[in-house]
Amino acid sequence: MATSKLQAFLNHPAGPKTIHFWAPTFKWGISIANIADFAKPPEKLSYPQQIAVTATGLVWSRYSTVITPKNWNLFSVNVAMAGTGIYQLSRKLRQDYFSEKEEAVAKE
Amino acid sequence: MNALRSFWNSPIGPKTTHFWGPTFNWSLPIAAAIDTQKPPEAISGNMTTVMCLYSGIFMRFAWVVKPRNIHLMVCHMTNETVQLYQLSRWIRAQRGTELKKEEADE
Repeated sequence: MATSKLQAFLNHPAGPKTIHFWAPTFKWGISIANIADFAKPPEKLSYPQQIAVTATGLVWSRYSTVITPKNWNLFSVNVAMAGTGIYQLSRKLRQDYFSEKEEAVAKE
Repeated sequence: MNALRSFWNSPIGPKTTHFWGPTFNWSLPIAAAIDTQKPPEAISGNMTTVMCLYSGIFMRFAWVVKPRNIHLMVCHMTNETVQLYQLSRWIRAQRGTELKKEEADE
């Protein structure tokens, strides 16, 4: 029973013998790298890169629901990209624009 | 005019998602190009390494997917190039700091 399900998965046209499986799988690496970078100080983050990661994540999330067939693997990986990108942007924005105000208030 | 019309009606043309996905993907190599002007301390080794693997895989994907998406392939070829350059800058900077530490220890 289990073998035939495994075989069905292995031989699927979008299964692990094909690029249609490995491409979205590798895309998870971007979100994982971003999560690893949550530990980095915000000065080391790049606005252009995080905006790009967020924008592509949002656009591809939308499009993976309108293509045929809907690709939930692609959808979830892009939602994760947009999520980690938005979080990193919020960390950097908070440090650049909101902690300055606190410092200015403290000086007064 | 005919070239314009065939582009407009192409299976990977601007009426389709196969055009807009890759269009937004260009933000990744553009962001990396902007970052080449920054000091190497701003480069994330994790993210740059992953980008090199990711674009390598997607160049292949863009070629074999139906319909074949040359736009996506060119976007990833560009990203691969910029990311490899950024990776080389990061590695060189890492080696630089290691050598400085060794000199300080002696």
